[in-house]
Amino acid sequence: MDTSGEQSAASHRPSEILDTLKRLGFGAAIAVPDSWLGEILVRIEEEPGIRLVRATHEEEALAIACGSRLGGVRTAMFVQNAGLLSMGAGMVSLAQRYQFPLLMLVSYRGTVDDPVFYHVPKGRVTEPVLKGIGLSYAVADRGRPIGPQVERAATYAEEASCPFALLLSQEDVQW
Amino acid sequence: MVIDARPSRADYYRALAKTLPADALVVTSLGNASYLWAVVRHAPENFYFEDAMGLALPLALGLAIAQPTRRVVVVEGDGALMMHMGSLVTVGAVAPSNLTVLLIQNGVHAASGGQALTNPGLDLAQLARAAGIARAKNVMTPEALASEMGTASAGDGSQFLVLSTKPDVEVVRPPIALDPVMTKHRFMSAIGAPRYIPTMFGGGRLERA
Repeated sequence: MDTSGEQSAASHRPSEILDTLKRLGFGAAIAVPDSWLGEILVRIEEEPGIRLVRATHEEEALAIACGSRLGGVRTAMFVQNAGLLSMGAGMVSLAQRYQFPLLMLVSYRGTVDDPVFYHVPKGRVTEPVLKGIGLSYAVADRGRPIGPQVERAATYAEEASCPFALLLSQEDVQW
Repeated sequence: MVIDARPSRADYYRALAKTLPADALVVTSLGNASYLWAVVRHAPENFYFEDAMGLALPLALGLAIAQPTRRVVVVEGDGALMMHMGSLVTVGAVAPSNLTVLLIQNGVHAASGGQALTNPGLDLAQLARAAGIARAKNVMTPEALASEMGTASAGDGSQFLVLSTKPDVEVVRPPIALDPVMTKHRFMSAIGAPRYIPTMFGGGRLERA
């Protein structure tokens, strides 16, 4: 692993996420946007080495990601936590059942830091639901550089052969 | 007794087995879609769904993107498609020309005992065309399927064939164990997919053996 943990935590965190995906050889990103994710997806779309697919629903996105990984491409997902709640069946009966290593980069809406009040119902249940369905996850630490956290999440997914969700704050992912 | 004159899934599968390109990758939906295909033409390049209804089509889309030089054939059911109809829109937008969708239209949820669909009579080919899949057709016979398979690689965009099929509610006994993880590893090994090569402290990469 590189030593980017020593870099300044004040650097542009969405750029660090994108740079990390490129450095680790991610070839596909499957996404359903929200307001925080909109711009980073545009940036990914401009990357020649990463194929962006915009899905209509997060469970569909999960299946596309499984197919992409099945075909030998390292694959990330960008979804809101609402999508984690709505993809439960596919998560347990496809992604986890077949042990697909997927990096899930998730805008974590409805926390105490989120100014948009209507996300609260999703925020309060997200982590209990993830625990309930056995989905491995971490909440990104805003006090530390984000790149190494993305790398560790990606490594976890591959080493443990499972999806791994990294829950991101607004400053982590909104370009 | 009313005779159902529509071809069976087995009739179509036999036609498919004879016309499938040698390098094709096949994704089959849950239930008999997988069990019967394993009987007719088991191969390492088959990816069998155990459950996850409605997700065979989007998985096949991801596979077609990842493997652009190989034909990807997916067998999905009409009930499964209705569960994730948005997938049609995504297939229409991405439009990989190496993807062939075989849509078994039998009007029932066959894998769960033959319950009626919400709307068994939809024109699914027209729906696919509206979603941006221009090469969408209704197919009524195995011979017509065989003919269409001959043109699979002859056009732009994805191919979408709606197969008029009589329900098969008797569960076929698969000839092999359809263990999901074994299915995945066998498939990835057969296509020579890169493997994850770990390093001591992370930062591993996918590399070809």
